[in-house]
Amino acid sequence: MSQAPRLPFLIKAEIFLRLFAIQGAWNYETMLGNGIAFAMEPGLRFLPGGKGGEAYRAAMARHCTYFNAHPYLAGVAVGALLRAELDGVPAAHVERFRTALPGPLGSVGDRLVWAAWLPFCAVLALAAFGLGMGTAGVLLLFVGSYNAGAVTLRAWGIRAGFGRGLQVAQVLGAPVLRQAPAHLARGMALVAGFALPLAARGIIGPGRTLLGATLLAALVGAAALGRFARRSEGWRLALALLTALVLYAMVR
Amino acid sequence: MAVELFRIDDRLIHGQVVVGWGQPLDIQRIVMVDDAVAASEWERELYRMGVPEEMSVEFLTVDAALAALDAILADARRTIVLTGDVETMRRLVAGSAGRITTVNIGGLHHRSGRAPCLRYVYLTPEEREGLQAIESLGVTVTAQDVPVCDPVPLSDVLASTGA
Amino acid sequence: MEAFIDVIPFALLGGLLGLDFVSFPQAMISRPIVSATLAGVLMGEPVHGLTIGVALEFVAIETLPFGASRYPEWGSAGVVGGALFSGWPDTTAGTLAVSVFAALATAMLSGWSLQPHRRLIARRAASRKSALLAGSLGAVTGLQLYGLTLDFLRAALLSGASLLLFRPIVSVLLSDWPVAAPLSRAGVVAIVAAVGASAVWKVIHGTKGAAWYLAGGFLLGGGTLWFTR
Repeated sequence: MSQAPRLPFLIKAEIFLRLFAIQGAWNYETMLGNGIAFAMEPGLRFLPGGKGGEAYRAAMARHCTYFNAHPYLAGVAVGALLRAELDGVPAAHVERFRTALPGPLGSVGDRLVWAAWLPFCAVLALAAFGLGMGTAGVLLLFVGSYNAGAVTLRAWGIRAGFGRGLQVAQVLGAPVLRQAPAHLARGMALVAGFALPLAARGIIGPGRTLLGATLLAALVGAAALGRFARRSEGWRLALALLTALVLYAMVR
Repeated sequence: MAVELFRIDDRLIHGQVVVGWGQPLDIQRIVMVDDAVAASEWERELYRMGVPEEMSVEFLTVDAALAALDAILADARRTIVLTGDVETMRRLVAGSAGRITTVNIGGLHHRSGRAPCLRYVYLTPEEREGLQAIESLGVTVTAQDVPVCDPVPLSDVLASTGA
Repeated sequence: MEAFIDVIPFALLGGLLGLDFVSFPQAMISRPIVSATLAGVLMGEPVHGLTIGVALEFVAIETLPFGASRYPEWGSAGVVGGALFSGWPDTTAGTLAVSVFAALATAMLSGWSLQPHRRLIARRAASRKSALLAGSLGAVTGLQLYGLTLDFLRAALLSGASLLLFRPIVSVLLSDWPVAAPLSRAGVVAIVAAVGASAVWKVIHGTKGAAWYLAGGFLLGGGTLWFTR
């Protein structure tokens, strides 16, 4: 592997900032493909021929087509593909690489972020609310902790992708990425169990009898959802129940 | 039978497969059937990274998968068999002598030459024929991206034109 | 006319937070615990906003944005829920129930609206295809800006319209609500907590030992509850 080409700091910063809008043109046809080209563009100006040159335009055209990934790990793709372009990897090989990348990036990101980090931070905030933390505190805790992880992941992704190029699979195997979801799941379980009764009290207010009945109803409801509605979505059932209640209130 | 799903998905291993189907169905193993990936070490390594540690993954060519089909079906681990395109699945079904009874279309995305059917299914004329060929072998073919959505029968998929 | 002017700040807030959900910057300020609270802040009732935000967050734990599956959009929904819940005195019976109802309905509508939104972007991309295939920077940047602008407008219009629609409905409903205040609130909490608990279970049940952590946490929480009366 050749030495990684050096990009000026401002260019790297611009790519990093553009990552936050990577899903700006998300659609069912090209998904976040356009965003990949958009984020990569400042780096492509360093191709032979410069901005608007033949190599630049060919690369832009290649990368604005269909691509999918987890938004926070899309930086890995942006970095790795930019590195491949700057290293002059043949177009056919880049295409093959583009085909193989989305799956693992989606899978790792979905497990780490959507199925672990986000719900973990959410139940942490619920627990803080349940313990009586103030409004600003709960908001700061949730937005702060979540984004400390999310921004770090984005920054790591672009560095790792650009540093490794086509060998990026090695970094996706990093122990922290592989094992974090299981640790977070256990942490989430502990915090969620703790938060549930306390947050429920936070909403209902004082009164022990009603709270006990509510918690019992919630547990029975959760068990029923898990048992009978594994494939359906609870939020739709919640909406249906509340709609029924509202209709009752109207026609009574 | 512990194969929960025979799935065609051009993204192969990704979040919808590993989390979307993997969690509710408690999937323990993925068998990816793809001649090109089975022959390419860096691609195998990349896809392996997308699989959680508690799941195992195997990469097979079509011929190897057919040779091992009885063992795959008899295995107690809950499994998803994945192909990245219609033709690979058609070859698999054709060689299975009736052992594959359902096929799931999980995602075939926009590419030049493909026309939209569903928001996650775009097909070329050859792919339409390939899916019909699979169905004509007595296999139930439906499109369904994630478990919470309803499966769409192939006839409805082929009749739709809106993404 | 006045009603329209009132709604404008909430529409703008809903636009910004709805934009966060998919397009920019995905900092999860679109989660209901944030969006409902910020709407409460606009109403001068941050604690009310946070309270309904927590109720909605229980439900939102279930709707994690995987792949292309359809999901409710919480940025606009939280703003609508937070604004409605903060608009009535604490003691009014049924406020939480109808506000959560309105927020969930908005979340569903807003989730739906993402589909035509995405089709519009795809259509725009198709109409600029030759420029995109020629590697034009203007075409790529233009498509990004088009999508971002459209998403902001989508979420803003949806939040505003939803608030205009639900405010009079809520007002009528609350004038004669059939269930006593504490019971009505407890019912809503039972529903959202059931959804949240089953969602947590879905995420963790595949992880070895996690069930014990959940049970342990619940005992700890229940104990804390008991001793902090």
